[in-house]
Amino acid sequence: MSSALPPLAAAGPILVAAILLALGHHLPRRSADIVAVLTALAVVGLGVLMATRTGNGALLHWFGGWSPRDGLPIGIAFQADLAGSAMVALVGLLFAASFVFAWGFFEEVGVQFHVLMLVFMAAMCGFCLTRDLFNLFVWFEVMSVAAFALTAYRLEASALEGALNFTVTNSLGSLMMLAGIGLLYARLGRLDMLALGEEAARAAGDPVIPGAFCLLAAALLIKGATVPFHLWLADAHAVAPSPVSMVFSGAMVAMGVFGLARLTWTIFAPVAEVTAALHAVILWLGAAAAVLGGMLCLGQRHVKRMLAFSTVSHTGILLMGVALLSAEGLAGTLAYLVGHGLVKGALFALAGVLMARLGGIDEIGLRGRGREIWPAGLAFAAGGLLLAGLPVGLMEEGTKLLDAAAGSEPYPWVILAVPIGAGLTGAAVLRATGRIFLGWGEVKGEEEHAPSEDEAEKANRPLPLMLAPVVAMLLLAALLPAHLAAEVAQHAATGMMQPGITPASVSGGEVPQHLPLGLLGLGLALLIAGWHLGRSRLPTLLSEGVEAVSAPVFAGLERLHSGLIGDELAWILAGLALLSLGIWFA
Amino acid sequence: MSALPWLVALWLFAIGFYGMMTSRHYVHLIGCLSVMQSGTYVLLLAAGFRWGAGPPIFSDHPPGTPAVDPVVQALVLTDIVVGAAVTALLLALALQLHKRRGTLDPEELKPMRR
Amino acid sequence: MSPRARGILATLAALALAPGALAVLRAMPAFGDHPLPYGDAVNRIAPAERIVSNMVTAVNFDLRGFDTLGEEVMLLAAVVGTVVVLRGSRGEGVGDRPATCGDRPIPPRSEAVVLLCRIIAPLTLLYGLYVVLHAQLTPGGGFQGGAIIGSGLLLVWVGEGYNAWRRLVPGVVLHALEGGGAGLYALMGFGAMLTGAAFLTNVLPLGEWGSILSGGVIPVVNFGVGLAVSGAFGMLFLEFLEETREPKDGEEP
Repeated sequence: MSSALPPLAAAGPILVAAILLALGHHLPRRSADIVAVLTALAVVGLGVLMATRTGNGALLHWFGGWSPRDGLPIGIAFQADLAGSAMVALVGLLFAASFVFAWGFFEEVGVQFHVLMLVFMAAMCGFCLTRDLFNLFVWFEVMSVAAFALTAYRLEASALEGALNFTVTNSLGSLMMLAGIGLLYARLGRLDMLALGEEAARAAGDPVIPGAFCLLAAALLIKGATVPFHLWLADAHAVAPSPVSMVFSGAMVAMGVFGLARLTWTIFAPVAEVTAALHAVILWLGAAAAVLGGMLCLGQRHVKRMLAFSTVSHTGILLMGVALLSAEGLAGTLAYLVGHGLVKGALFALAGVLMARLGGIDEIGLRGRGREIWPAGLAFAAGGLLLAGLPVGLMEEGTKLLDAAAGSEPYPWVILAVPIGAGLTGAAVLRATGRIFLGWGEVKGEEEHAPSEDEAEKANRPLPLMLAPVVAMLLLAALLPAHLAAEVAQHAATGMMQPGITPASVSGGEVPQHLPLGLLGLGLALLIAGWHLGRSRLPTLLSEGVEAVSAPVFAGLERLHSGLIGDELAWILAGLALLSLGIWFA
Repeated sequence: MSALPWLVALWLFAIGFYGMMTSRHYVHLIGCLSVMQSGTYVLLLAAGFRWGAGPPIFSDHPPGTPAVDPVVQALVLTDIVVGAAVTALLLALALQLHKRRGTLDPEELKPMRR
Repeated sequence: MSPRARGILATLAALALAPGALAVLRAMPAFGDHPLPYGDAVNRIAPAERIVSNMVTAVNFDLRGFDTLGEEVMLLAAVVGTVVVLRGSRGEGVGDRPATCGDRPIPPRSEAVVLLCRIIAPLTLLYGLYVVLHAQLTPGGGFQGGAIIGSGLLLVWVGEGYNAWRRLVPGVVLHALEGGGAGLYALMGFGAMLTGAAFLTNVLPLGEWGSILSGGVIPVVNFGVGLAVSGAFGMLFLEFLEETREPKDGEEP
């Protein structure tokens, strides 16, 4: 169905950003803040409006009116399906929250922060809606460039080092993506993703197409920070200003997963080697990321770095849903993605509250100092519980769907990576809550040896203004009606898997459940958090015995995350080799 | 002979990557990134080449004369702009870092002083 | 990891990649001798329907014009990012402060250099403008011409020195060029939507073959790109030249 709505999501914020930049010096104070919030809210509205109109098939827009000639696409199209529209709404929401949270924070660079953020938002919207492979690359790159500059905003040595490593690894990802596009174009002569899919189905057995997939997937997994492509993430997310980290962890990393799902179901679904490799390699990479990310998260004391590793863990979970290659798995990923984005955005905002109000971000250094801002503590605990798997809201629905999808797997126990990852990350956040806001946990554990740095942010905003977006995001993630979320997610997944075709009606109803994964994660989180905070009361023999085993593991993991660019690049090459081996042997 | 451009693209990609991985100076590393980027130019332009065809600009010869693929040339133009933009940003970051740490050796620069 | 361990990991990875890379190389189409359906369609359709002779321009600014909008904002983001990273507002309105870096001496410019730059700079700017304006006819366009204009601006610095350069090329104007150019591009897209057509549809009269005004919307958006790229390159040069100046007390270096 043709529609004029999809281009507005990308071009609208661009126009606003261009006007802000051109008139920047003549605008009254605060007007940029207001304009940015309004633009982000308009994008939310647009996303919801598009989503409600996808009932009769995706909304299609051929730019410049260049619709295909004799079946050959010669222009660029935006195709807004339910999943893409929902992503647009999520992106808008996270940016609106970030703009409110950052009210007046970036005064010293004038409108430039808003220009970068608006361009960043436009790029994410374009990335979710486009149907053209090269156009996807353009938005991918715009997203990266805006993110690079925002990371370095603080201009301290750590921030610059984190930003440099982020820029180098992600630019390498862009080059891999471009090389993949070049291979596909040389072989198939198209750039429209659906046309590429048709041609790929005809060129069965050609090794160029799986080769292109390896490069494209590596690029998206770098952005999606999957083990072993993830080494850049902790440094970049930990050093970026907190309003920027909100959108990094909430939306940008998820874009890698969403992009992989999009490419899989538009281009590569008919290519047997690729689907086999997805199943054989990426599913296990996702599971490994979920568990390793969780362990790394637990071993941190710098709260933003902790949250960054939790993002690695949860992105692993998202990736597993894509690699399960079923409608239920994809639906699980989409529901979990939205829920995680909202919760993680809220948690990074709370980290920003710590930096602004208490002038620090180190869990151990802040022990007991959070009592004066107890409302933030309540929100922090709620975020931790939701991450761990509190059985309410979007993340719980996503987990259920993932569980149902894994039921038909040859190794259904792989899904246990979900509660392990969720439990470990939840435990870390709960431990930080207990330590900072209640003063518990005098005896320190492995986290004491993790890297940390004291960092403060400008305290020029009232606490209620900073907490308002946090509360809104947490409530949305927890209180959205479960059956509605499950139904929408399943519709979105079916639509994404059959692009261009009207999705068949999906029976809403109950999702069959095999394991109470949410409760498992929650139990694990409470157990570990309790253990860590109550170390002083445990029998010495027990706590020292466990520590003798766990300490070398944590120290080894931490040593692998050296922050050296050479190591990061070597691991990226190793990851690419894994993908290629998966295709070779699958 | 017909595989030569693909080989060149692969070589540029590989040697650029090797240079980046073993680099001991960020400015050198940024240069290596540009070498890798050149690999993508070669790949894209080679994908649109055709023996015996002219440029896709019909001001000297009339429309309809055989011409190479203009699409990849447009894509490479975008690619070049990407390269210029990212290089400028990377150099700015490196400049600021050098002011603060006094070195640009990646082996000595670790975020959060690990 | 030690460099040695890193080397071993990378070698193993490269060995594991080799068979796949070889298989892809062997299966690549023969160079210069494989079908180009997309390119052929463009070469057939664009001259007839858009009255332009440069197909690369037709792809960049019409058929795939939306890519170029993204490309332009990427350049804009990179430049704004560079300004943020180098904290560009400092030095605004400082025309009398010499550009120094530490105790590095400033060599006086020779008269030959000044004369040469005074001759070449205007010619370069003019040539840049020419390349921008003839995008739809001959090789060139907003990006290439904008870059030439940018280098013309740099010649002003070489010939006239830092202070004259700062007076002639204020940062505010460069930002306005950048934002204005990108805004013009987006506005042309929205303008087409007002007539009921798709975003960036070529709604202006197409003109005559070989005329500088042929191509309808193409010359307009191309000019927007030219403005934005000139502004962007000017801003980049300005920012990096600012780095040759000692920061004042209280300025963030």
